[in-house]
Amino acid sequence: MIKVILIVIVAEIWTAAGHVLFKKGTNSLEVHSLRGASGMMRFVKNVLAHPSIWLGLAAMAIGMVVWLLALVHADLSIVFSLGSMQYILVLFLAHFFLGEKIDAMKFIGTFLVMLGIILITIS
Amino acid sequence: MKASHLTLKIFLLIVLNDIGDTVAQLLMKKGLNTIGITNVGLNNLAEFVQAGASSPLVWLGLSVLILNFFLWMVVLYRVDLSIAMPVGSTCYIFVPAAAVLFLHEHVSLIRWAGVGLIIAGIHFVSRSKKETGRPSP
Repeated sequence: MIKVILIVIVAEIWTAAGHVLFKKGTNSLEVHSLRGASGMMRFVKNVLAHPSIWLGLAAMAIGMVVWLLALVHADLSIVFSLGSMQYILVLFLAHFFLGEKIDAMKFIGTFLVMLGIILITIS
Repeated sequence: MKASHLTLKIFLLIVLNDIGDTVAQLLMKKGLNTIGITNVGLNNLAEFVQAGASSPLVWLGLSVLILNFFLWMVVLYRVDLSIAMPVGSTCYIFVPAAAVLFLHEHVSLIRWAGVGLIIAGIHFVSRSKKETGRPSP
């Protein structure tokens, strides 16, 4: 069981890093308008030209492989409910690496979402 | 328009993203069900990938996933990650609700309690009005 928890934590860290890298990428996008086909195309081009976003995709791919390793060792429901830690982890990473402000509302809300997912996945 | 708190428009984009994710999973699952390989191991991995790649439903699912990726980029461009993440759990609400409404499945009380907690959680997050200043690139 401890082995599964450790594997899930490693997977979570990679996936969370992916989320943060995505956000880092979109934070530095220079987009003037998302309207119309040309605006959309420019947005897609800018996204694809951004190294942080490719790094994020790579981190998520690694996270997914580690995640599959956890699934080999334990039940889907256990792995999924452990996986809901992701939400709190991303909250902290967003604060420390992206400078996002975290207030009580966000913290309580994210905690409730995590509890809800645990209930759904173990039932 | 950038906002660091949740607006209705961003909420709807996130919901659309969740729906896209669910549809993509269903398409790929349906596609993979029809290729006739039930056990996947290292010995038949190549055969599995080849069979999967021959299924139009799998390709359709992958295309939806790629479109969804760019939709998520739009969401992240517009709102804080610490808001987009928890609100992105709406699929946990819609899937059981759809199972009851359209498939007449039974959903257990514990599961509804979980759905309730998630709705409450999203509500709290949406009340957060903390502004995050954007660092200039």
